[in-house]
Amino acid sequence: MDLKDNLFEIIKVNASQKEQDWIETKANGSLQSMQTAFVATPRFISKTPVNSDITLRGISFETWTLDRLVRAYFLVCLDNSDIEIYIKTLNTLFETAENNEAVALISSLALLENPESWLLRATDAVRTNIGVVFDAIAFDNPYAKTYFSELAWNQLVLKCIFNDKPIHKIQGLDERPNKELAISISNLAHERWAAGRTIPPQAWRLVTNFLDEIILEDIKKLFASTNDNDQLAAALVCKNSEFPLAKSELIKHIELDEKAKNLSWSALEV
Amino acid sequence: MCQKESEIKQNPSHFEGTAEELEMSKTIQANYMDYVKGMKFFDPHIHMTSRTTDDYTALVDAGVVAIIEPAFWLGQPRTGLASFKDYYSSLVGWERFRSSQFGIKHYCTIGLNSREANNEALAEEVMEILPLFLYKEGVVGVGEIGFDDQTAAEEKYYRQQLEMSKEAGLPVQVHTPHRDKKKGTELSMSIALEHAIDPGMVIIDHNNEETVESVLDKGFWAAFTIYPFTKMGNERMVELVKKYGPERIMINSAADWGISDPLAVPKTAALMKIRGISDEAIKMVCYQNAIDAFAQSGQINVADFETPQVIDQSLKFNGNTVLRGGQIPRVDKNSIFIS
Repeated sequence: MDLKDNLFEIIKVNASQKEQDWIETKANGSLQSMQTAFVATPRFISKTPVNSDITLRGISFETWTLDRLVRAYFLVCLDNSDIEIYIKTLNTLFETAENNEAVALISSLALLENPESWLLRATDAVRTNIGVVFDAIAFDNPYAKTYFSELAWNQLVLKCIFNDKPIHKIQGLDERPNKELAISISNLAHERWAAGRTIPPQAWRLVTNFLDEIILEDIKKLFASTNDNDQLAAALVCKNSEFPLAKSELIKHIELDEKAKNLSWSALEV
Repeated sequence: MCQKESEIKQNPSHFEGTAEELEMSKTIQANYMDYVKGMKFFDPHIHMTSRTTDDYTALVDAGVVAIIEPAFWLGQPRTGLASFKDYYSSLVGWERFRSSQFGIKHYCTIGLNSREANNEALAEEVMEILPLFLYKEGVVGVGEIGFDDQTAAEEKYYRQQLEMSKEAGLPVQVHTPHRDKKKGTELSMSIALEHAIDPGMVIIDHNNEETVESVLDKGFWAAFTIYPFTKMGNERMVELVKKYGPERIMINSAADWGISDPLAVPKTAALMKIRGISDEAIKMVCYQNAIDAFAQSGQINVADFETPQVIDQSLKFNGNTVLRGGQIPRVDKNSIFIS
């Protein structure tokens, strides 16, 4: 079965017969009627949460609603035999999208043809301040880890940290840590501390492989924090790090050393 | 006219009201909001893109739970299609999101306003992209459209957009002109009827004492804009509701980039309450009639704002900052500290 059929299988489990009939009449229509169907979907399709344990191209659909799934289906049904027209059609949808349409488009990026041509759309979704649109690129979406440059990837992760969003929901979080990101997190923490604010403790997981004498000073600060979660974060960084001085720092805090032995970062995933 | 005793004492010579008003002025509480506590309001015409977050906070505090933002002119003419596209997109995008951060349900009407209908080359292009926006979620009508100078071009695009409203099954929000209002209102209605549009699908906006009777007689909805200096004052509005009753009458603020008052609806409700209009009538004029008129679009689900914890399924996922716990971040305006 191809992608289109697989998607329709999930739709069949979740949609009423009436909804399926509407989808089928639209999916076989002209480009323009499909474009209109994409826009008008919520007029005919309910917003019930999708029930499915199938993963397609790295997308699990667990947090999707049915109207979003149907929109994704229409996108996959778009005729791509003339790639220029295909791209133009999608660009029109992007440029005129209201918020729920934007969410559907962004969370479907990995399902589209020519995934690389949507890079600017994806990084624009990182730039947005509209929460749901940002979340659509950040969470449960394989696009960023596959196609983002290191710079774009780091922006995504930093913006999540900056806005107190749950970084553990970023696909590929543990696959793309890097030195630049670790330094940026350290710098962000310094700014926050200077303002009497904090960063989410689990952000420190991303410095683990890049500990040096400078960042270790931050970790010492976390050990000295009055916040239990900051202390635990410090212990977890030191436990998982290869940096020799980290180990000697950890044994100075016997209780935390013990505590960290039985815990992983999931304890701080909020 | 002064309404508070304290002001009367300071400026006795300015008060020239009736004996009844003088009596009332002595009993009015300092805070008019006390009269409308617990009431919910729907402002079916307000241009939030021109307003600040302070206004959103004030709307929430005053009980405004949902609003309609009609597409209008930005104070100066747009020079290209892309400006229109971006503007329409912002009404269903950024502004909708901004409003949601305050727990206010934001709807809009989409249309080519009468002034810019006069740039025919551009108007043609706008007509082509309108259908893309009319079918979007939360678009509750075609608007605000109608006449300004009452030119041939205005008429041409008014007619075209009436046809689009029929095709899309959407109500129409009709702007009536500042100058030669009576004639413009009559013309707008007769053209709508000529296009076989059900008057129950048309909201004639910016009415006054001179236009209301004809609008109601013909079966249209009559909207009144409470706007300082140029449109209706709310004392006049109270008298109109007393005279015509609450059927098919609604009020709005049309607050925009001019000197206007986003709290026009709750303030007028308070004044109606003070002047003895029933709660039921106030509810119709300040809430229910607007919902009934625009819900004919099929795009208004009252549960979205009557029970605010039931938020849109697709918005319920993580990271939705502001609705969390029903708390709106507030700035203490009296504090010198900004933190």
